[in-house]
Amino acid sequence: MDDLLADFVAETREMLEAIEGELVAWEADPSDRAKLDSIFRFVHTVKGNCGFFDFPRLEKLSHAAEGALAEVRAERRHADSRLVSAVLAIIDRITQMTNAIEAGEDLPQGGDEFLIAALEPDAGDIGETVAIQKTDGEVKEAGTAAAAPRSIRLPVELLDRVMSGVSDMVLARNDLARRLRDAGNEPTLDGPFERLSGILTDVREAITKMRMQRIELLYNALPRLVRDLSSELGKQVMVDFEGGDVELDREMIEMIRDPITHLIRNAIDHGIEKPAARLAAGKREIGMLAIAARQSGNKISIMISDDGGGLDTAKIGAKAVSSGLVTQSELDAMSDDAVMDFIFEAGLSTADTVGAISGRGVGMDVVRANIEKIGGEISVSSNAGEGTMFFLQIPLTLSIVSALTVSVDGQRFAIPQSYVEEIAHGGSASIQFSRVGDTDLVTFRDRRFPCLTLNNVLELEPRNAGPDQRLVLLRLGSNDLFVLAVDKIHDQEDLVIKPLSPSVMISGTYSGTTLLDDGSPVLMLDVPNIASQNGLISDVRQRPSQASEVETIVESAPTRTVMTFVAFNGRKRAIALDLVARIDQVDATAIDIDGDREQVVIGGRIMPLIGVDGASLPDTQIKLLRLSDSECEVALAVAELGESVEIDAQLTQSEDPSFEGVALIGDQPVPLIDAYRIFARHAQPARIARTAICRLPEGDPWTERMLAPLVEAAGYEIATGDEPADVTIAIAIDGAADLPPSDEAAVITLHSDPDAVGTSGSGVYRYDREGLLTALRKVRSTPNQRKAS
Amino acid sequence: MNDLLVMLQIDGRRAVIPAADVQSVIELEAIYPVPRAPDYVLGLTAMRSQSLTVIDACLALGLSSDCTTSERAPIVDIDGHLYAIRVDKVDDVVEAQSDVTPISGGFGPGWERVARGMVETDRGPALVIDPKLLVLGSTAAAA
Repeated sequence: MDDLLADFVAETREMLEAIEGELVAWEADPSDRAKLDSIFRFVHTVKGNCGFFDFPRLEKLSHAAEGALAEVRAERRHADSRLVSAVLAIIDRITQMTNAIEAGEDLPQGGDEFLIAALEPDAGDIGETVAIQKTDGEVKEAGTAAAAPRSIRLPVELLDRVMSGVSDMVLARNDLARRLRDAGNEPTLDGPFERLSGILTDVREAITKMRMQRIELLYNALPRLVRDLSSELGKQVMVDFEGGDVELDREMIEMIRDPITHLIRNAIDHGIEKPAARLAAGKREIGMLAIAARQSGNKISIMISDDGGGLDTAKIGAKAVSSGLVTQSELDAMSDDAVMDFIFEAGLSTADTVGAISGRGVGMDVVRANIEKIGGEISVSSNAGEGTMFFLQIPLTLSIVSALTVSVDGQRFAIPQSYVEEIAHGGSASIQFSRVGDTDLVTFRDRRFPCLTLNNVLELEPRNAGPDQRLVLLRLGSNDLFVLAVDKIHDQEDLVIKPLSPSVMISGTYSGTTLLDDGSPVLMLDVPNIASQNGLISDVRQRPSQASEVETIVESAPTRTVMTFVAFNGRKRAIALDLVARIDQVDATAIDIDGDREQVVIGGRIMPLIGVDGASLPDTQIKLLRLSDSECEVALAVAELGESVEIDAQLTQSEDPSFEGVALIGDQPVPLIDAYRIFARHAQPARIARTAICRLPEGDPWTERMLAPLVEAAGYEIATGDEPADVTIAIAIDGAADLPPSDEAAVITLHSDPDAVGTSGSGVYRYDREGLLTALRKVRSTPNQRKAS
Repeated sequence: MNDLLVMLQIDGRRAVIPAADVQSVIELEAIYPVPRAPDYVLGLTAMRSQSLTVIDACLALGLSSDCTTSERAPIVDIDGHLYAIRVDKVDDVVEAQSDVTPISGGFGPGWERVARGMVETDRGPALVIDPKLLVLGSTAAAA
């Protein structure tokens, strides 16, 4: 919460700085609409942010100022100098309070009602008050200026410069590495060089992290907002997040934070109905709010959908006519979609009542302005009675895209991984090529897909798709699938995509470029554009609800799809494809092997690791298949990735219990890993696996105060009822311990007399912390004891 | 007056770009072609971990003749994108010895679109080229 608060303060201050000039200009010319709008936006944003934090006074002040300004915007009121002074006084008060919040002091006392009253059209002269407030403010400011900052804000350009400097260093390092290799073995140089490489990798990672944030960070703040809002409005709302691991530029997150917060407020305030109304409409009592982020090519799509009442086009249309945006006859000729777009016009609100939450006709125009400012787009679609969906597209100026590199005619191209559904070898028996007219078709698993050859798409040497090629099955939007045939598939890697110059962009084929480690530029294919240029899609958009239906296509075939790979012992293995959640590559340092415990850290999460089996790992990058049973994830390390193939569901039995059976792939027998067994072994929810239970003597104050915290800190849960415990701690007074219940295994006896310790086997002096911890650890490391006794 | 100019040769003719517009002059090494891009876009090349778009000055001017080309190319930054312009030859940096002036009758097709005017140098008169028009104007013209 502290970080959020600091963000709030910093943001408010930045906005204050930004509008300072406007304030003065507005004071000089209160009829200046543009200035009025930006001041209005400021108080509106402050109001929004305070609703989120618990600053009722700030919220009241900004709400009052917003109300008065809204009147002026609606031309119901004239901005006279008295109103201007009153608004300025409120803004000064907001500055003061912000300073106090930052310094962690109490908010300056009282006087708010006075300021708010001054906004009333019939308020008396407040010139004097304003003057007092102003002096107050100055004194305060002088006081807080000395406080040391805990974090610094950097211009993004500086980060960019550092980042490109680091990229240069990596290239220079690669060059140096080549030269060192050519020069032969130089032990005196190799050591320091390795060290330099290691440091460089760390620095590069850190720099990248500086800019990138998971969208989760934005998500984290939302459940609270949703909860508070819905309880305030007497509604029940469940919020569902998807795609939290999509990473985007820190700056972008900041830029979309407000618009998204606003859309969510709107959805709860106007979209989702009250429980009674929902039940009457035959819906579930609880409204659903879904927020899904997805990376697609050089854009990040964010969908915010609710299952509320939807937009009322008739009402929007009527409003648009009454506000003079269109004439009735123009309106009659418009499609529903076009009418809905009016909600993004300034000064149009469909809310009947103006609440503290939203509904002042500001908002949607501000949202659109903010999104467009960063080069994004926003659109809305809605079905009356079923819900509303906002669809945001945010560009990623500098964003890391996971991509598949392929090549045709010896030149490499990258395809965003998010489009890639599957890859296959053209020569595989399950694939048939056919031609209809000039169009290639590929039949794959009983489905027929249109097939483009990248050679033809790029107008290189024309050719037909054939079995000598590799096929990439791409998915666009809803159910548009097509196959792209390429000469070779290289690798999956994370690429930092940079924008292309307009001269290249007009080809409409590429969305960005990146440099590979060897310094060669690679173009990222603009998949949706290529598809639409070839007439393969009409509309790339998709509703999130459709996205989840996708997985069901391949069911009920008599065959199953597996992914082959080469294990670290050099043998070819296969695993059911539907278990493979994604393919990752991690640094060797992310892997932790300690005796039997093998783990890997991916994206800040610890996962059990399998597939190493004592083999020595390469000390560079390691490929992982992330297996998921939809609840737990297990990482499978592989030496080499294979391809996805279809096999007969009937497997030959295998002697080895770790295999489900042996499949025939090509002419080779390939054992299929028994995933059930893997998850049975590794996928217990971590919490249960870790927490052992410890029984303590009950009703003893020393136990409660001293012992229980220590035991809990050692990772135990304290037994509360009659459940079986892993260990019982008994306290021996004068050498005689309370007898523990017989069904429990380990007993640790605490003695109040250090000299009595030696007399019993598992005795520990009660202030011997180390001794006790060692004893507890010993119990945990032999987990079978409970069963054995 | 006394502005510094980078003297180039395009299709055998003398042309200059204001030195202030030129970031540096590099040796063009590997150029990676961009399929489907306009013909005057020769491709991409890398310079210190940045990609540059390589523009062929002759083709951008619509002079379809086979220009001789040099390995050295001036780099210009236009709206945040870096371009390398391939020309016949990159000469020295020279001083302008006159103001930029138009000439009656214009500079001829192709050249006219990118020309700012004519300038006197110690090597004789030269055409002042606006690199932005050379690089972007051709995009607009082709689009």
